[in-house]
Amino acid sequence: MSLSRNFFAGVDVGSLAAKAVILEDGKIYATGLVPSGVNSVESGLTALNLALGSAGLKKEDLKYIVGTGYGRVSAPYANKAVTEITCHAKGANYLHPTVRTIIDMGGQDCKAIRIDQDGAVVDFAMNDKCAAGTGRFLEVMAGVFNVKLDDLGAIALSATDTVPMSSTCTVFAESETISLVARGEKPENILNGIHHSIANRIAGLFSRVGIESDVFFSGGVAKNSGMKTAIEQALKVTIVKPEIDPQLIGALGAAVIARNFAKKEGLWV
Amino acid sequence: MGKQLFRYSEANKEKFLESDNITFNDGSVVTPEEIWHYLTVEGPEKYPGTFEINLYQGNRASRDETLPTSLKTHYLGLTFSERMERAKDKGKSIAFIQGGQAVDPYTAADTIALRPFLVGQWYHGREHGNDINKSVLRRKQSKEKAFHDMSFEACQTGGYEHIQSGNLRVDVVAPYTVLRCSDVSYGVEAHRHGPNKEVKLFNVDYPLRYQASKPWAVEYFAQNLRRLVKTLDEVSGRKTTEDDLLKAIKLHNEGRRLGTELAELWWSADIPPTNSDDRLSLVSLANLDMHGDVQASLSVLKEARNIIAERVKNGVKGHAVTDNPKRIFILGSCVGINDSRSEDAGAIVVGKDDQWSHCSSLVEEEGDPFYNLAKATLEYPYEQSIEKRAEWTIEQIKKSRADGVIFIHNWGCNTQAAVARPILDVIKRETGIPTYIQERDLHGLQHEQEQNRVNAFIEML
Amino acid sequence: MPIKTLEIIRKRLEERPAELQTARQNGQKVVGWVGYNVPEEIIHALGFIPVRIAVGGDDRLVEVGARYASSKTCVFIREIVGAFAENQDPYIQQTDLLAFDATCLQNYRAAEVIEYFFKKDVVVLAVPRNFDWDEAKKYFAHEANEFTRLLEERAGAPLDSARLAESVALYNDIRETLKSIYTFQASRDNVISWEEVYDLIQAGELLDKKEYLSLLQQTLAELKELQPNPVIEADDGDSRLFISGSLIPRGDRKLIGIIKSVGGRIVGDDLWSGILPHLDLDIKEISPAGVALAYLNRTPHAALPYLDLESDRRLKKLHELLSTSKAQGVIYHTLRYCDPFTFKAKETKNVLAKSGIPLLEIHTEYAGSDYEAMKTRVEAFVEMIRIKAEFVEEEALLANA
Ligand code: SF4
Ligand code: SF4
Repeated sequence: MSLSRNFFAGVDVGSLAAKAVILEDGKIYATGLVPSGVNSVESGLTALNLALGSAGLKKEDLKYIVGTGYGRVSAPYANKAVTEITCHAKGANYLHPTVRTIIDMGGQDCKAIRIDQDGAVVDFAMNDKCAAGTGRFLEVMAGVFNVKLDDLGAIALSATDTVPMSSTCTVFAESETISLVARGEKPENILNGIHHSIANRIAGLFSRVGIESDVFFSGGVAKNSGMKTAIEQALKVTIVKPEIDPQLIGALGAAVIARNFAKKEGLWV
Repeated sequence: MGKQLFRYSEANKEKFLESDNITFNDGSVVTPEEIWHYLTVEGPEKYPGTFEINLYQGNRASRDETLPTSLKTHYLGLTFSERMERAKDKGKSIAFIQGGQAVDPYTAADTIALRPFLVGQWYHGREHGNDINKSVLRRKQSKEKAFHDMSFEACQTGGYEHIQSGNLRVDVVAPYTVLRCSDVSYGVEAHRHGPNKEVKLFNVDYPLRYQASKPWAVEYFAQNLRRLVKTLDEVSGRKTTEDDLLKAIKLHNEGRRLGTELAELWWSADIPPTNSDDRLSLVSLANLDMHGDVQASLSVLKEARNIIAERVKNGVKGHAVTDNPKRIFILGSCVGINDSRSEDAGAIVVGKDDQWSHCSSLVEEEGDPFYNLAKATLEYPYEQSIEKRAEWTIEQIKKSRADGVIFIHNWGCNTQAAVARPILDVIKRETGIPTYIQERDLHGLQHEQEQNRVNAFIEML
Repeated sequence: MPIKTLEIIRKRLEERPAELQTARQNGQKVVGWVGYNVPEEIIHALGFIPVRIAVGGDDRLVEVGARYASSKTCVFIREIVGAFAENQDPYIQQTDLLAFDATCLQNYRAAEVIEYFFKKDVVVLAVPRNFDWDEAKKYFAHEANEFTRLLEERAGAPLDSARLAESVALYNDIRETLKSIYTFQASRDNVISWEEVYDLIQAGELLDKKEYLSLLQQTLAELKELQPNPVIEADDGDSRLFISGSLIPRGDRKLIGIIKSVGGRIVGDDLWSGILPHLDLDIKEISPAGVALAYLNRTPHAALPYLDLESDRRLKKLHELLSTSKAQGVIYHTLRYCDPFTFKAKETKNVLAKSGIPLLEIHTEYAGSDYEAMKTRVEAFVEMIRIKAEFVEEEALLANA
């Protein structure tokens, strides 16, 4: 590959998936996404190699790599580590410059991020030590009903009633769900209730940082249509239709920041 | 799942129509006829959720229909929201207070005093036609927002969500910041950042650490009460005198006396004359604040006292009470166990300290009414030291012949949770009665796990 | 260049428990105090040795405390209760009696629980919540006298007014010297860090007061020598942070460590375990009531309700300290179940936002399990402050490239 071309990568290792995005100048060149393993360094590398492979590039072709996500601290392949909050902001801004609010629902946490026109973070809030509103929570619920995680949203959307869930704590919610099923409540109505209660939680999170259009929904859970609808209702907003897999936003942001760092350090020819 | 609805049976109508009227503060009267109509026609239409049979929400499949006062408290609950709206239209002042306090000074100042539960009842009663699911969802939504505005670790948002963004016409937030509830005490301040700039804030500072024996502390609290009345007067534009307070104290003493009589009659019976739910709703009338109308509460309380005396005399057993139920005394904060399900498991609740301590404290009628009221309030047994509170509780346990004690507190109720264990310790030491601590999962409504444990405790007894 | 006196202080702290033991063998009594408005001068003037009981950061003790005081009590108090249960803390072991105040409901409850379970002799000072009223001041004056009376009983001698005057003078000197030292940490090219000053303040909770004063004076002299002219102004590349919220006691360095590890620089605080209690303490009358009222008249503790937002002295003080320290952002630390501070987090954030100062709330306990989550937040906050300054320029450069 020609040395005169400028490639930058962002690698985002989350608790459920590792993602990589390669950027060439102004456009997304390649992406990679793999489930996270126990070893976050390996997961990050696998995602990066997947992206490199699909683009026919070698690691040496990359001018700068930024690592992000929970695996960022131990990422030897990266030149720098930046938090996923800053990265999500940059990534969403890069794709949709009109976005001012980001809801990120990943595997183990949920974030509300407010950004300005340059994609700089203005304010953010994260849910506290609680799986509610996260991929993990929905995964557990999918397990209870013995359905695929990807189908949860569609099932919830077919509900005729909303059964209130009292608990948003995973452990309690699991046992509560089981007793609701035992009482004869319909699965779709329970699932609808679950989606609503999470959306409510998130609406609460936004009461701390405020909300401004446009709104972008990122992270693994963003692919869940039921969640998207429930959030739109709870927050009374319309969520922007993403141009790429919403799970990749953090890695994309990291790649954009990689480009900025490269520029700053004079590595960009 | 089809929703089953409860309906009052016509079979009891005739008997009910013979019962007393309810007389309200403004002198108006509702007849049993009108109450019956409301309970069978208007009520079910407006509030289908409260007629929905749902054990998990404490809605029974059947009720004590031959206990007229039970229907009346139901009526007062259902009409609460409309009555508050009407009172406001007529220019009445409304104050937010805390549970576990008497309301004599508010009555004196012609102000309706609403504890957190009632503020919620007012707000939720404004929307009609909801089934249980819908009203629970609505409640959860407004709570969630309040938690974010205040703290996630609050169990009690002090009516914040309703007063601040629910357009409830509450004029003044002015609770006694008694020890029982730490959250209301911190919550009062939170109102200062809410959008409702109209609502006045006032803090009736309850001096801490058992100060009833310190004259300067009683004096300080009396000054708080004076300032409270002045603040209420500023809102209403009236001029409350010492004499007004004395009258209010006498009126409330009557409520407290009647309530105590009723409770003691109930306790004296070998067979529980009502179920747990009815017992509590009648005994807690003693504070006269329960339905936002002092006179209405008093008139139902009077009738209830007589009916209970009658039932005890005739050995009538309360509806849905099992034979030889295990008698449970509840301690702790402002929550209780699920009465009907616990009854099904063979128990009955015979007392609850937080609904009782202030109701059983009479106020001296001779001398400075502010000072007397302050002194009586500082003497609330519930607010005393571990040993003293336990000592009083033991007395109540003995009078009520309880077989077991459950200390239940909400998640996040710091000051009650903190003394749960030592208080039960003393009770166990002095009486040997089995005890048990239960924490209520805050947002929990179904309480499956909690009920399992309560049932296990009952079985153990 | 290291400050030599700080080394001496560290060493003196190590020796302190043994020293207390010897003092007790010689008939002196140690008073452990817990709270926010305990007038220490009174304790000192009665010939007691005051030490502040303020353990923290030990999750295991928190668990132990929960067995007695429930898991719903704030972590700080839970750990204190746990520490009493285990009785391993060298200072707790050396206390003859305890003095609590009722500023915070939880603090006050702890007094009860400790009294009940561990049979400790506890004296409690009531604190009025309507603290601004004249009636409340009168009541508090009574309470201060009562508190003194109870202590006198235990001291076996009445409070001597000349000795009280001496104690007040000594404490005033300590407070003044601390304030002077505090300026250095926030200055450009600081020779002493906020963390060092913070430890220094907390050393004073334990050491002999006279010795402490001379150590402080020595520290100040060293500082003046090293940095004759401390000027507080922002440095390029610094992200100057201010810590507010629930107290951070001696054993708890989790958040402070995280801030440092992600490159944030702390330049100020209004913590009740930091500089705040030493500010604005103006004793006008040498008497128990005079001392106690001066305590109450400082910036009010968060547990005391302030019903009017506009005139809130806490927020005024916060603004003042933020501007003197030239801080760019506030980390608002709230401990689990610490209602006084948790209830105000959002409000404080909104108030500061009006002055363009961002606030990050960190809600935590002493367990290590939230370390990574906290780090992410703090790091993102530091990035946010930096990016405000740097990245915007970078973007402009890029846009022109
Ligand atoms: S549970 Fe406790 S803190 Fe909560 S409202 Fe009731 S008394 Fe107050
Ligand atoms: S102020 Fe907070 S940390 Fe201090 S005792 Fe009260 S609740 Fe605990």
